[in-house]
Amino acid sequence: MDDVGATTTRRRVLTAATTGIAGALAGCTENLWSRAESPGPEQVSLTIKAVPADDDVVAAKIASKLRENFQAAGIDATFEPTAKAELYREVLLDGEYDVFVARCPELDEYDGLRGLLHSKYVSERGWQNPFHFSDVTVDELLESQLTSEGEEREQSLSELFEHLTETVPYAAVAFPHRIGATRDELSISVPPRESLDYAEIVSQEPDEGSREGPLEVGVFGEQLTGRLNPIVVDRNAISGLVELVYSPLVYRIDDEDVPWLADDVEWESGSRLRATVTLHDDSTWHDGESLDADDVAFTYQFLEDTSLGEAESGIPAPRYRSQQSLVENVAAVDDRTVEFTFETGTQSIAARALRVPLLPEHIWEPRSSIVGERQTEALVDDNEDPIGSGLFTVDDVTEDAEVELGLFDDHVFRDETADRPSILEDFPQFEGIRFQVAPNAGALVDLLAEGEVDLTGSPLPADETSTILENAELSALTEPTEEFYMIGYNGHHQELGYPNFRRILSRLIDREHAVDQIFAGFADPARTRGSLFGIKDTELAADEDTVITNFPGSDGEVDSSQVRSLFEDEGYGYDDGALLE
Amino acid sequence: MTLLDVVLELVIVVTAMLATATLVLVGPKRIAAAIRGYRWRLEACLLSIAALVVVLALRLSTRDVVRRLERRVIGHNITDDLFALEEQLFGETPVAILQSLQTEALTTFFVFIYIYGYAFLLLFPIIAYFALEEMDELSTLLLAFTANYGIGLLCYVLFIAYGPRNFDPMLFEGLLYDAFPQSHSLTGQVNQNTNVFPSLHTSLSMTVFFVAWVTRDRYPLWVPLSGFLAISVALSTMYLGIHWFSDVAAGTVLALISVYIGVNYTVDGLVATGRQYLGQRFDVLGKPGGE
Repeated sequence: MDDVGATTTRRRVLTAATTGIAGALAGCTENLWSRAESPGPEQVSLTIKAVPADDDVVAAKIASKLRENFQAAGIDATFEPTAKAELYREVLLDGEYDVFVARCPELDEYDGLRGLLHSKYVSERGWQNPFHFSDVTVDELLESQLTSEGEEREQSLSELFEHLTETVPYAAVAFPHRIGATRDELSISVPPRESLDYAEIVSQEPDEGSREGPLEVGVFGEQLTGRLNPIVVDRNAISGLVELVYSPLVYRIDDEDVPWLADDVEWESGSRLRATVTLHDDSTWHDGESLDADDVAFTYQFLEDTSLGEAESGIPAPRYRSQQSLVENVAAVDDRTVEFTFETGTQSIAARALRVPLLPEHIWEPRSSIVGERQTEALVDDNEDPIGSGLFTVDDVTEDAEVELGLFDDHVFRDETADRPSILEDFPQFEGIRFQVAPNAGALVDLLAEGEVDLTGSPLPADETSTILENAELSALTEPTEEFYMIGYNGHHQELGYPNFRRILSRLIDREHAVDQIFAGFADPARTRGSLFGIKDTELAADEDTVITNFPGSDGEVDSSQVRSLFEDEGYGYDDGALLE
Repeated sequence: MTLLDVVLELVIVVTAMLATATLVLVGPKRIAAAIRGYRWRLEACLLSIAALVVVLALRLSTRDVVRRLERRVIGHNITDDLFALEEQLFGETPVAILQSLQTEALTTFFVFIYIYGYAFLLLFPIIAYFALEEMDELSTLLLAFTANYGIGLLCYVLFIAYGPRNFDPMLFEGLLYDAFPQSHSLTGQVNQNTNVFPSLHTSLSMTVFFVAWVTRDRYPLWVPLSGFLAISVALSTMYLGIHWFSDVAAGTVLALISVYIGVNYTVDGLVATGRQYLGQRFDVLGKPGGE
């Protein structure tokens, strides 16, 4: 009985189901066909890349906040934490990204924007136009700021900023304060950031008198010691280290150009701005080879094309291109003299080119061989044994543990009778610099407290300041910087190619709130037109009246309906809360 | 505190724990017997030890290759998938739920478990099984460890995954390195921050627990103790913001597979099978149309 009943029921169910399915199918086959034939718009999807919290807690927090806010806007947003060297490789070399967040070095001059944004760099790899951004007006304004002077240049620049607030190839979030710490034996007031800061500290006598031993600097991070190549971008690095080994012709110190490897620079204006650079008489490289005018000319040719003519359209270096490209021609006149002709008539712009670190021809010339697609030996080599001409030589590297820099005895500035720059007046008070790598910021502060290191070299997260302030032997060092956190967009992405879309995205971070919560107050938000593109204090674009800083929400939280109407005003549609392509 | 100090402290604390546990659970009689017969015991499990050493050496020596393969060639980043999956399954990620229970005492407990408890949990059964009359249990455990490391290494090459603390420092706290920053110098020697899927802390701990269960007639008391420790280790990895729930789940599955391998195979057997297979191939190649 039971069995019969069960069969009957089953049969009934089957019949009902078949009828139901057939009926439903009849109605929806057309629907299915039409969907298959022309699939409707899909949800906009964006992957945000930034370093993990281990590398930079602020970048990871900004990226997480963006993910949340993008999602509230109906975007299918994901965050992909990526180690620093890999992030640079994927963003700057391979262009494999949608949106990235990164801490960027300060722009030394307005002209730095030319490297970031000019469309002629669109196919190059490195910091030159990593956004694949191409805009005729921006190109024209970047060129006219380069060739014009005075008020005319200012006019071009302020037009440029105005135009950038419309097109938004990238957007700054805030300018972080650099946080560091030192033991009280050293009299330092600001945390070291670049090579000259270290040279200056080594010139200052510590409380216990000059030391028979190195200055001990603590840093933290992974893979900091593996690559000491000054012209590549895909590496994590101790900031300032490679630049201590490789020096430029001229340094900029407190808004003044100070000749360094150059003994003298003579400027000459005319139809083209020219400079005649005379080198010191007996400059040598760390390996004893003489540093001559050919090395200087070579450096600029090499940065322009690291294959030295071998590759058909050249393989430019991923760094220093914006500076190198200012040089129209460079030629060694004799052993000690080099003549430059520039693409600009403005000396303050042209001087940027002289701040490029020099490379020894005898080491780098053989590295011009092509090893892969758009790669030369010079761009893949780790440069384990760097030969430069700076005040310091690399003496010893223990992988992921420490780097020891010794003093370069044959440097022209080691001669106390020489005419030395004032920051080197009492150089040296230490026998070099030793960088010790700690696994994280907390461990670094411990090393400092135990006296294992004298000061910190990596920027510390804000929450370490309390530990430092509790310790009477330590001083916290903070300094506002012109470095900035950038949100960059890949112009090759279907949606990110539209200025209107980027402009709305750039609004989706509450900058004032972020400075409060993410930076714990240790930053200045980007408020003005200039600062939104990384130029912190500029009178040319001090206007705060820009839509980009107008956050559609409150207290850091996006108001979904407000963003939705922003996108809808630009013609975007929504389906069930999802923003459609 | 440098790496050396951290290691020294670890050695002292764990040795004390091991000594106590050995006296209580193994007992003086068996300890004495084990010391007397250490030679045949070592010989009996030599192959298992060798297999483990080979896999560990492989892991250490291929760090750079693995890192390049993982990050540059395969580059399969699943961090956001893990996060999204757990939010969908549970509404709130288990890590966030655990961290919301945070107290100072709990943090201290879990830091202790994560570092010292874990080292003890892995080392004690080696001593305990060494003191038995047969080396079967020890061979099982060592082979299971080997399988853990081998399969784990493969997963690490295939997937890039960062732990919760690295993914979203606003939602999740990196409690371990906040409470004990120096421990990073220890864990950093062993592992990278992209290797979280699966959790080897969990899989090795669970392996010890499962083997304790399988051999429960030998050390009945070790079953609840290892169970408590193993579950605490698994919870600690999440509480401390190092692993996702998925890593822990995958780690437990890995432990089951490893214990299955450990129980059903022996290194001798695997070597013999390999030899036989190669021998046959060689035969076939040597005498075409032979047999």
